[in-house]
Amino acid sequence: MNSSADLVSRACRGDQEAFRLIFERYSRPVMSFIYDQVSDRELAEELMQETFVRAFRSLNTLRSETKLSTWLFGIAKNVARESLRARIRQNQHVDLDDQQVLDLSDRGPVPVSQLLNKELNEVVQRALALLDEDKRLVFTLKVFQQCSYEEIAEITGFSIPKLKTDLHRARTEMRQRVGQYVRA
Amino acid sequence: MKCVDCVNLLEAYVDGEVDERESERVRKHLMTCLSCETEFEALTAESELYARYDRELQISPAAWSGISARIAAEPSAIESRERRNVRGWFAGLFAVPRLGFAFSGAMAVLLAVVAVGYLYLRTQPEKRLLVAGVGNVRPGSLPITGTVDGPAIPPREVTNVDHPPTDQTGVKKANEPRNPRRIPDDPGVLFTDASYSDGDTASHLDQAQKLLVSFRSLPADDDDDVDVSYEKTESRRLLNENVVMRRDAEATGKFPTKSVLGSLEPFLIDIANLPDKAPASDIRQIKDRVQRTEIVAELRSY
Repeated sequence: MNSSADLVSRACRGDQEAFRLIFERYSRPVMSFIYDQVSDRELAEELMQETFVRAFRSLNTLRSETKLSTWLFGIAKNVARESLRARIRQNQHVDLDDQQVLDLSDRGPVPVSQLLNKELNEVVQRALALLDEDKRLVFTLKVFQQCSYEEIAEITGFSIPKLKTDLHRARTEMRQRVGQYVRA
Repeated sequence: MKCVDCVNLLEAYVDGEVDERESERVRKHLMTCLSCETEFEALTAESELYARYDRELQISPAAWSGISARIAAEPSAIESRERRNVRGWFAGLFAVPRLGFAFSGAMAVLLAVVAVGYLYLRTQPEKRLLVAGVGNVRPGSLPITGTVDGPAIPPREVTNVDHPPTDQTGVKKANEPRNPRRIPDDPGVLFTDASYSDGDTASHLDQAQKLLVSFRSLPADDDDDVDVSYEKTESRRLLNENVVMRRDAEATGKFPTKSVLGSLEPFLIDIANLPDKAPASDIRQIKDRVQRTEIVAELRSY
Protein backbone atom coordinates (compact mmCIF):
# COMPACT_ATOMS: atom_id res chain seq x y z
CA MET A 1 0.00 0.00 0.00
CA ASN A 2 2.86 2.36 -0.74
CA SER A 3 1.82 3.43 -4.19
CA SER A 4 2.53 7.04 -5.04
CA ALA A 5 -1.18 7.89 -4.89
CA ASP A 6 -1.43 6.34 -1.46
CA LEU A 7 1.66 8.14 -0.22
CA VAL A 8 0.41 11.47 -1.55
CA SER A 9 -2.96 10.96 0.07
CA ARG A 10 -1.33 10.12 3.42
CA ALA A 11 1.13 13.00 3.16
CA CYS A 12 -1.78 15.35 2.44
CA ARG A 13 -3.31 14.28 5.73
CA GLY A 14 -0.11 15.34 7.47
CA ASP A 15 1.65 11.96 7.57
CA GLN A 16 5.31 12.98 7.50
CA GLU A 17 6.48 9.39 7.21
CA ALA A 18 4.60 9.10 3.92
CA PHE A 19 6.27 12.24 2.67
CA ARG A 20 9.64 10.86 3.74
CA LEU A 21 8.97 7.79 1.60
CA ILE A 22 8.14 10.05 -1.33
CA PHE A 23 11.44 11.82 -0.69
CA GLU A 24 13.35 8.55 -0.59
CA ARG A 25 11.77 7.38 -3.81
CA TYR A 26 12.26 10.54 -5.81
CA SER A 27 15.13 12.48 -4.26
CA ARG A 28 17.81 10.92 -6.47
CA PRO A 29 16.15 11.49 -9.84
CA VAL A 30 15.10 14.98 -8.77
CA MET A 31 18.59 15.85 -7.57
CA SER A 32 20.20 14.37 -10.69
CA PHE A 33 17.86 16.39 -12.85
CA ILE A 34 18.62 19.60 -10.95
CA TYR A 35 22.33 18.89 -11.03
CA ASP A 36 22.16 18.50 -14.81
CA GLN A 37 20.67 21.99 -14.97
CA VAL A 38 22.93 23.83 -12.51
CA SER A 39 26.20 21.80 -12.58
CA ASP A 40 26.87 22.36 -8.91
CA ARG A 41 26.59 19.59 -6.34
CA GLU A 42 25.94 21.64 -3.22
CA LEU A 43 23.50 23.90 -4.98
CA ALA A 44 21.74 20.87 -6.47
CA GLU A 45 21.16 19.43 -3.01
CA GLU A 46 19.94 22.76 -1.71
CA LEU A 47 17.54 23.12 -4.64
CA MET A 48 16.40 19.54 -4.26
CA GLN A 49 15.42 20.34 -0.66
CA GLU A 50 13.61 23.45 -1.82
CA THR A 51 11.77 21.36 -4.42
CA PHE A 52 10.48 18.95 -1.80
CA VAL A 53 9.46 21.71 0.59
CA ARG A 54 7.48 23.36 -2.21
CA ALA A 55 6.02 20.02 -3.16
CA PHE A 56 4.84 19.48 0.41
CA ARG A 57 3.23 22.89 0.47
CA SER A 58 1.25 22.26 -2.65
CA LEU A 59 0.56 18.53 -2.42
CA ASN A 60 -3.16 19.19 -2.46
CA THR A 61 -2.87 20.77 -5.90
CA LEU A 62 -1.51 17.56 -7.42
CA ARG A 63 -4.09 16.36 -9.93
CA SER A 64 -4.96 12.69 -9.91
CA GLU A 65 -4.06 12.23 -13.57
CA THR A 66 -0.56 13.68 -13.11
CA LYS A 67 2.31 11.33 -12.37
CA LEU A 68 4.05 12.25 -9.15
CA SER A 69 7.48 12.14 -10.82
CA THR A 70 6.28 14.44 -13.62
CA TRP A 71 4.88 16.87 -11.08
CA LEU A 72 8.08 16.85 -9.02
CA PHE A 73 10.23 17.41 -12.11
CA GLY A 74 7.99 20.35 -12.95
CA ILE A 75 8.64 21.94 -9.55
CA ALA A 76 12.35 21.10 -9.78
CA LYS A 77 12.54 22.76 -13.19
CA ASN A 78 11.07 25.97 -11.76
CA VAL A 79 13.37 25.91 -8.75
CA ALA A 80 16.45 25.31 -10.93
CA ARG A 81 15.44 28.01 -13.39
CA GLU A 82 14.89 30.55 -10.63
CA SER A 83 18.34 29.75 -9.29
CA LEU A 84 19.96 30.10 -12.71
CA ARG A 85 18.19 33.43 -13.24
CA ALA A 86 19.37 34.65 -9.85
CA ARG A 87 22.94 33.67 -10.66
CA ILE A 88 22.76 35.47 -13.98
CA ARG A 89 21.38 38.56 -12.23
CA GLN A 90 24.28 38.45 -9.82
CA ASN A 91 26.63 38.17 -12.79
CA GLN A 92 28.02 34.97 -11.47
CA HIS A 93 29.66 32.80 -14.00
CA VAL A 94 27.93 29.44 -14.11
CA ASP A 95 30.76 26.99 -14.02
CA LEU A 96 31.26 23.30 -13.56
CA ASP A 97 31.92 22.56 -9.93
CA ASP A 98 34.89 20.37 -10.65
CA GLN A 99 37.73 22.70 -11.42
CA GLN A 100 40.11 19.98 -12.48
CA VAL A 101 38.28 18.99 -15.61
CA LEU A 102 40.73 17.10 -17.71
CA ASP A 103 41.65 18.50 -21.03
CA LEU A 104 40.89 15.56 -23.23
CA SER A 105 40.77 17.34 -26.51
CA ASP A 106 44.36 16.61 -27.46
CA ARG A 107 44.06 12.90 -26.93
CA GLY A 108 42.06 12.14 -30.00
CA PRO A 109 39.17 9.71 -30.04
CA VAL A 110 39.27 6.76 -27.71
CA PRO A 111 36.90 3.79 -27.63
CA VAL A 112 33.99 4.08 -25.24
CA SER A 113 35.13 1.08 -23.28
CA GLN A 114 38.54 2.65 -22.70
CA LEU A 115 37.26 6.02 -21.69
CA LEU A 116 37.56 6.15 -17.94
CA ASN A 117 34.32 6.70 -16.14
CA LYS A 118 35.53 9.89 -14.54
CA GLU A 119 36.60 11.24 -17.87
CA LEU A 120 33.36 10.24 -19.50
CA ASN A 121 31.37 11.93 -16.74
CA GLU A 122 33.33 15.11 -17.19
CA VAL A 123 32.98 15.09 -20.95
CA VAL A 124 29.23 14.57 -20.75
CA GLN A 125 28.82 17.09 -17.95
CA ARG A 126 30.77 19.72 -19.83
CA ALA A 127 28.83 19.09 -23.03
CA LEU A 128 25.56 19.34 -21.10
CA ALA A 129 26.57 22.64 -19.54
CA LEU A 130 27.18 24.07 -23.02
CA LEU A 131 23.63 23.33 -24.19
CA ASP A 132 21.19 26.17 -23.90
CA GLU A 133 18.64 25.94 -21.13
CA ASP A 134 15.66 24.63 -23.11
CA LYS A 135 17.69 22.01 -24.93
CA ARG A 136 19.36 20.88 -21.73
CA LEU A 137 15.98 20.52 -20.04
CA VAL A 138 14.49 18.44 -22.81
CA PHE A 139 17.62 16.36 -23.34
CA THR A 140 18.06 15.44 -19.68
CA LEU A 141 14.38 14.63 -19.22
CA LYS A 142 14.37 12.34 -22.25
CA VAL A 143 17.80 10.75 -22.18
CA PHE A 144 18.52 10.54 -18.46
CA GLN A 145 15.08 10.54 -16.86
CA GLN A 146 13.35 8.51 -19.59
CA CYS A 147 10.29 10.77 -19.69
CA SER A 148 7.90 10.43 -22.60
CA TYR A 149 7.29 13.35 -24.95
CA GLU A 150 3.92 13.96 -23.27
CA GLU A 151 5.53 14.06 -19.84
CA ILE A 152 8.25 16.43 -21.04
CA ALA A 153 5.59 18.68 -22.54
CA GLU A 154 3.76 18.69 -19.20
CA ILE A 155 6.91 19.45 -17.22
CA THR A 156 8.31 22.14 -19.48
CA GLY A 157 5.16 23.59 -20.98
CA PHE A 158 6.70 23.21 -24.45
CA SER A 159 4.71 21.96 -27.40
CA ILE A 160 5.58 18.50 -28.72
CA PRO A 161 7.01 19.87 -32.02
CA LYS A 162 9.21 22.33 -30.12
CA LEU A 163 10.53 19.75 -27.73
CA LYS A 164 11.21 17.32 -30.59
CA THR A 165 13.20 20.00 -32.39
CA ASP A 166 15.07 20.93 -29.20
CA LEU A 167 15.80 17.29 -28.50
CA HIS A 168 17.13 16.68 -31.99
CA ARG A 169 19.36 19.77 -31.81
CA ALA A 170 20.54 18.87 -28.33
CA ARG A 171 21.47 15.38 -29.54
CA THR A 172 23.36 16.81 -32.48
CA GLU A 173 25.28 19.26 -30.29
CA MET A 174 26.03 16.59 -27.72
CA ARG A 175 27.24 14.27 -30.48
CA GLN A 176 29.59 16.95 -31.76
CA ARG A 177 31.01 17.64 -28.31
CA VAL A 178 31.10 14.15 -26.91
CA GLY A 179 31.80 12.49 -30.24
CA GLN A 180 35.22 14.11 -30.55
CA TYR A 181 36.35 12.04 -27.58
CA VAL A 182 34.48 8.89 -28.33
CA ARG A 183 34.14 6.54 -31.19
CA ALA A 184 31.80 3.65 -30.75
CA MET B 1 10.17 3.50 -46.74
CA LYS B 2 12.78 5.92 -47.99
CA CYS B 3 16.00 6.54 -46.11
CA VAL B 4 15.08 10.15 -45.43
CA ASP B 5 11.82 9.07 -43.77
CA CYS B 6 13.61 6.43 -41.77
CA VAL B 7 16.31 8.82 -40.55
CA ASN B 8 13.63 11.31 -39.53
CA LEU B 9 11.95 8.66 -37.41
CA LEU B 10 15.06 7.04 -35.97
CA GLU B 11 15.42 9.18 -32.84
CA ALA B 12 11.77 8.78 -31.96
CA TYR B 13 12.12 5.05 -32.68
CA VAL B 14 15.05 4.72 -30.29
CA ASP B 15 13.05 6.72 -27.74
CA GLY B 16 10.13 4.31 -28.12
CA GLU B 17 7.89 7.16 -29.28
CA VAL B 18 6.87 5.76 -32.67
CA ASP B 19 3.54 4.01 -33.15
CA GLU B 20 3.55 0.34 -33.99
CA ARG B 21 2.84 0.77 -37.69
CA GLU B 22 5.74 3.17 -38.20
CA SER B 23 7.87 1.10 -35.90
CA GLU B 24 7.34 -1.94 -38.10
CA ARG B 25 8.22 0.05 -41.22
CA VAL B 26 11.43 1.31 -39.57
CA ARG B 27 12.35 -2.22 -38.50
CA LYS B 28 11.88 -3.54 -42.00
CA HIS B 29 13.86 -0.70 -43.54
CA LEU B 30 16.73 -1.17 -41.08
CA MET B 31 17.02 -4.80 -42.14
CA THR B 32 17.60 -3.80 -45.72
CA CYS B 33 19.49 -0.49 -45.51
CA LEU B 34 23.06 -0.43 -44.30
CA SER B 35 23.43 3.33 -43.98
CA CYS B 36 20.27 3.69 -41.87
CA GLU B 37 21.31 0.74 -39.77
CA THR B 38 24.66 2.42 -39.18
CA GLU B 39 22.83 5.55 -38.08
CA PHE B 40 20.64 3.46 -35.80
CA GLU B 41 23.66 1.80 -34.26
CA ALA B 42 25.28 5.17 -33.70
CA LEU B 43 22.20 6.33 -31.82
CA THR B 44 22.13 3.14 -29.77
CA ALA B 45 25.82 3.56 -28.97
CA GLU B 46 25.11 7.10 -27.79
CA SER B 47 22.34 5.83 -25.56
CA GLU B 48 24.77 3.34 -24.07
CA LEU B 49 27.30 6.08 -23.52
CA TYR B 50 24.78 8.30 -21.75
CA ALA B 51 23.62 5.32 -19.75
CA ARG B 52 27.09 5.15 -18.26
CA TYR B 53 27.00 8.78 -17.21
CA ASP B 54 27.24 8.86 -13.44
CA ARG B 55 27.00 12.15 -11.61
CA GLU B 56 28.41 10.53 -8.48
CA LEU B 57 25.89 12.39 -6.42
CA GLN B 58 25.49 11.65 -2.77
CA ILE B 59 22.45 12.82 -0.91
CA SER B 60 23.57 13.75 2.55
CA PRO B 61 21.54 12.42 5.47
CA ALA B 62 21.07 16.03 6.51
CA ALA B 63 18.98 16.65 3.40
CA TRP B 64 15.87 15.00 4.80
CA SER B 65 16.46 16.55 8.22
CA GLY B 66 16.52 19.97 6.58
CA ILE B 67 13.29 19.31 4.69
CA SER B 68 11.69 17.73 7.72
CA ALA B 69 12.52 20.73 9.90
CA ARG B 70 11.12 23.12 7.32
CA ILE B 71 7.88 21.26 6.72
CA ALA B 72 7.38 20.61 10.43
CA ALA B 73 7.10 24.35 10.83
CA GLU B 74 4.36 24.43 8.24
CA PRO B 75 0.89 23.01 8.47
CA SER B 76 0.17 20.16 6.12
CA ALA B 77 -1.95 20.80 3.08
CA ILE B 78 -5.09 19.39 4.68
CA GLU B 79 -4.39 20.95 8.05
CA SER B 80 -4.01 24.38 6.54
CA ARG B 81 -7.19 23.92 4.61
CA GLU B 82 -9.01 22.74 7.71
CA ARG B 83 -7.61 25.65 9.64
CA ARG B 84 -8.86 27.99 6.97
CA ASN B 85 -12.22 26.32 7.15
CA VAL B 86 -12.36 26.52 10.93
CA ARG B 87 -11.58 30.20 10.61
CA GLY B 88 -14.33 30.47 8.04
CA TRP B 89 -16.69 28.57 10.28
CA PHE B 90 -16.06 31.01 13.09
CA ALA B 91 -16.53 33.89 10.69
CA GLY B 92 -19.79 32.33 9.59
CA LEU B 93 -20.83 31.89 13.16
CA PHE B 94 -20.44 35.58 13.73
CA ALA B 95 -21.73 36.56 10.35
CA VAL B 96 -25.09 34.90 10.87
CA PRO B 97 -26.03 36.64 14.13
CA ARG B 98 -24.71 39.90 12.78
CA LEU B 99 -26.97 39.57 9.80
CA GLY B 100 -29.70 38.39 12.13
CA PHE B 101 -29.35 41.41 14.39
CA ALA B 102 -29.36 43.82 11.50
CA PHE B 103 -32.30 42.14 9.91
CA SER B 104 -34.28 41.79 13.11
CA GLY B 105 -33.43 45.38 14.02
CA ALA B 106 -34.86 46.54 10.72
CA MET B 107 -37.89 44.36 11.23
CA ALA B 108 -38.42 45.67 14.75
CA VAL B 109 -38.39 49.24 13.49
CA LEU B 110 -40.83 48.30 10.74
CA LEU B 111 -43.07 46.53 13.26
CA ALA B 112 -42.98 49.51 15.54
CA VAL B 113 -43.93 51.78 12.65
CA VAL B 114 -46.77 49.48 11.65
CA ALA B 115 -47.96 49.16 15.27
CA VAL B 116 -47.90 52.90 15.78
CA GLY B 117 -49.73 53.34 12.54
CA TYR B 118 -52.29 50.76 13.54
CA LEU B 119 -52.85 52.35 16.91
CA TYR B 120 -53.04 55.70 15.27
CA LEU B 121 -55.66 54.49 12.83
CA ARG B 122 -57.65 52.76 15.56
CA THR B 123 -57.84 55.92 17.57
CA GLN B 124 -58.97 57.82 14.48
CA PRO B 125 -61.51 55.48 12.81
CA GLU B 126 -62.95 58.10 10.59
CA LYS B 127 -59.71 58.98 9.10
CA ARG B 128 -58.99 55.28 8.56
CA LEU B 129 -62.04 54.99 6.43
CA LEU B 130 -60.87 57.90 4.46
CA VAL B 131 -57.52 56.34 3.83
CA ALA B 132 -58.85 52.88 3.14
CA GLY B 133 -55.73 51.86 1.35
CA VAL B 134 -53.73 51.90 4.56
CA GLY B 135 -56.13 49.36 6.02
CA ASN B 136 -54.47 46.72 3.86
CA VAL B 137 -51.71 46.62 6.38
CA ARG B 138 -53.22 44.72 9.21
CA PRO B 139 -51.56 43.15 12.18
CA GLY B 140 -52.71 39.71 11.29
CA SER B 141 -51.32 39.97 7.83
CA LEU B 142 -47.82 40.92 8.75
CA PRO B 143 -45.86 38.56 6.56
CA ILE B 144 -42.50 39.56 7.86
CA THR B 145 -42.81 38.30 11.41
CA GLY B 146 -41.85 34.81 10.37
CA THR B 147 -38.57 35.99 8.98
CA VAL B 148 -37.64 38.35 11.75
CA ASP B 149 -35.85 35.67 13.70
CA GLY B 150 -33.83 34.86 10.63
CA PRO B 151 -33.01 31.22 11.45
CA ALA B 152 -33.85 30.19 7.94
CA ILE B 153 -30.72 31.89 6.67
CA PRO B 154 -28.16 29.13 6.22
CA PRO B 155 -24.79 29.54 7.85
CA ARG B 156 -22.65 30.90 5.06
CA GLU B 157 -19.60 28.72 5.45
CA VAL B 158 -21.22 25.34 5.93
CA THR B 159 -20.89 24.19 2.33
CA ASN B 160 -17.31 25.40 2.12
CA VAL B 161 -16.35 23.51 5.23
CA ASP B 162 -17.58 20.25 3.81
CA HIS B 163 -16.43 20.67 0.28
CA PRO B 164 -12.68 20.12 0.28
CA PRO B 165 -12.60 16.72 1.99
CA THR B 166 -15.24 15.47 -0.44
CA ASP B 167 -13.07 16.68 -3.26
CA GLN B 168 -10.03 15.02 -1.81
CA THR B 169 -11.55 11.61 -1.48
CA GLY B 170 -13.15 11.98 -4.86
CA VAL B 171 -9.76 12.55 -6.41
CA LYS B 172 -8.25 9.46 -4.90
CA LYS B 173 -11.19 7.21 -5.62
CA ALA B 174 -11.29 8.36 -9.19
CA ASN B 175 -7.70 7.37 -9.58
CA GLU B 176 -7.97 3.84 -8.34
CA PRO B 177 -10.26 2.04 -10.71
CA ARG B 178 -8.94 3.85 -13.74
CA ASN B 179 -5.47 2.36 -13.53
CA PRO B 180 -5.83 -0.86 -11.64
CA ARG B 181 -2.64 -2.30 -13.08
CA ARG B 182 -0.64 0.86 -12.85
CA ILE B 183 2.65 0.44 -11.08
CA PRO B 184 3.84 3.14 -8.69
CA ASP B 185 5.35 6.03 -10.59
CA ASP B 186 8.70 5.04 -11.74
CA PRO B 187 11.22 7.82 -11.48
CA GLY B 188 13.10 6.27 -14.33
CA VAL B 189 16.29 4.35 -14.23
CA LEU B 190 19.08 6.08 -12.48
CA PHE B 191 22.07 5.28 -14.48
CA THR B 192 25.25 4.32 -12.86
CA ASP B 193 28.42 2.98 -14.24
CA ALA B 194 29.00 0.76 -11.25
CA SER B 195 29.48 -2.76 -12.47
CA TYR B 196 26.57 -5.06 -11.81
CA SER B 197 26.75 -7.93 -9.41
CA ASP B 198 25.40 -11.34 -10.33
CA GLY B 199 22.56 -10.64 -7.93
CA ASP B 200 21.61 -7.50 -9.86
CA THR B 201 21.64 -9.41 -13.11
CA ALA B 202 19.61 -12.28 -11.65
CA SER B 203 17.06 -9.82 -10.30
CA HIS B 204 16.90 -8.06 -13.65
CA LEU B 205 16.39 -11.33 -15.51
CA ASP B 206 13.77 -12.38 -12.99
CA GLN B 207 11.83 -9.18 -13.59
CA ALA B 208 12.20 -9.60 -17.35
CA GLN B 209 10.96 -13.16 -17.11
CA LYS B 210 7.92 -12.03 -15.11
CA LEU B 211 7.27 -9.35 -17.69
CA LEU B 212 7.36 -11.87 -20.52
CA VAL B 213 5.14 -14.30 -18.62
CA SER B 214 2.71 -11.44 -17.99
CA PHE B 215 2.88 -10.48 -21.64
CA ARG B 216 2.33 -14.07 -22.72
CA SER B 217 -0.88 -14.20 -20.73
CA LEU B 218 -2.35 -11.07 -22.33
CA PRO B 219 -5.69 -11.77 -24.00
CA ALA B 220 -5.12 -11.47 -27.74
CA ASP B 221 -7.51 -14.01 -29.18
CA ASP B 222 -9.97 -11.57 -30.72
CA ASP B 223 -9.13 -8.50 -32.77
CA ASP B 224 -9.67 -5.91 -30.04
CA ASP B 225 -6.78 -3.65 -29.10
CA VAL B 226 -5.08 -4.65 -25.88
CA ASP B 227 -3.95 -2.24 -23.16
CA VAL B 228 -0.22 -2.91 -22.78
CA SER B 229 0.74 0.36 -21.10
CA TYR B 230 2.02 -1.46 -18.01
CA GLU B 231 4.12 -3.93 -20.01
CA LYS B 232 5.40 -1.11 -22.17
CA THR B 233 6.53 1.03 -19.22
CA GLU B 234 8.14 -1.92 -17.53
CA SER B 235 9.83 -2.94 -20.76
CA ARG B 236 11.33 0.51 -21.27
CA ARG B 237 12.76 0.47 -17.80
CA LEU B 238 14.17 -3.03 -18.20
CA LEU B 239 15.50 -2.19 -21.66
CA ASN B 240 17.68 0.56 -20.25
CA GLU B 241 19.00 -1.72 -17.56
CA ASN B 242 19.51 -4.44 -20.10
CA VAL B 243 21.64 -2.32 -22.42
CA VAL B 244 23.93 -1.26 -19.59
CA MET B 245 24.14 -4.75 -18.14
CA ARG B 246 24.90 -6.29 -21.51
CA ARG B 247 27.73 -3.81 -22.05
CA ASP B 248 28.96 -4.44 -18.55
CA ALA B 249 28.85 -8.21 -19.05
CA GLU B 250 30.76 -7.82 -22.29
CA ALA B 251 33.39 -5.59 -20.71
CA THR B 252 33.89 -7.95 -17.79
CA GLY B 253 34.00 -11.07 -19.96
CA LYS B 254 30.75 -12.59 -18.66
CA PHE B 255 29.79 -13.97 -22.03
CA PRO B 256 26.96 -16.32 -20.96
CA THR B 257 25.32 -13.37 -19.21
CA LYS B 258 25.88 -11.19 -22.23
CA SER B 259 24.31 -13.83 -24.42
CA VAL B 260 21.17 -14.11 -22.26
CA LEU B 261 20.81 -10.34 -22.11
CA GLY B 262 21.37 -10.14 -25.84
CA SER B 263 18.58 -12.67 -26.46
CA LEU B 264 16.25 -10.75 -24.22
CA GLU B 265 16.83 -7.32 -25.70
CA PRO B 266 14.82 -7.66 -28.95
CA PHE B 267 11.73 -8.65 -26.94
CA LEU B 268 12.12 -5.64 -24.68
CA ILE B 269 12.58 -3.34 -27.68
CA ASP B 270 9.49 -4.76 -29.37
CA ILE B 271 7.31 -4.42 -26.28
CA ALA B 272 8.70 -0.96 -25.49
CA ASN B 273 7.77 0.18 -28.99
CA LEU B 274 4.17 -1.01 -28.84
CA PRO B 275 1.45 1.62 -28.57
CA ASP B 276 -0.42 1.75 -25.25
CA LYS B 277 -3.39 0.07 -26.94
CA ALA B 278 -1.69 -2.48 -29.14
CA PRO B 279 -3.38 -4.41 -31.95
CA ALA B 280 -4.00 -8.02 -31.00
CA SER B 281 -2.11 -9.21 -34.08
CA ASP B 282 1.09 -7.49 -32.85
CA ILE B 283 0.67 -9.00 -29.42
CA ARG B 284 0.18 -12.45 -30.95
CA GLN B 285 3.30 -12.00 -33.05
CA ILE B 286 5.47 -11.22 -30.04
CA LYS B 287 3.80 -13.93 -27.96
CA ASP B 288 4.56 -16.46 -30.71
CA ARG B 289 8.20 -15.43 -30.70
CA VAL B 290 8.36 -15.68 -26.93
CA GLN B 291 6.91 -19.16 -27.22
CA ARG B 292 9.04 -20.24 -30.16
CA THR B 293 12.38 -19.05 -28.84
CA GLU B 294 11.71 -20.34 -25.33
CA ILE B 295 13.23 -17.17 -23.97
CA VAL B 296 11.31 -17.53 -20.69
CA ALA B 297 12.90 -20.92 -20.08
CA GLU B 298 16.30 -19.48 -20.94
CA LEU B 299 15.82 -16.70 -18.41
CA ARG B 300 14.60 -19.14 -15.77
CA SER B 301 17.60 -21.36 -16.23
CA TYR B 302 20.02 -18.50 -15.72
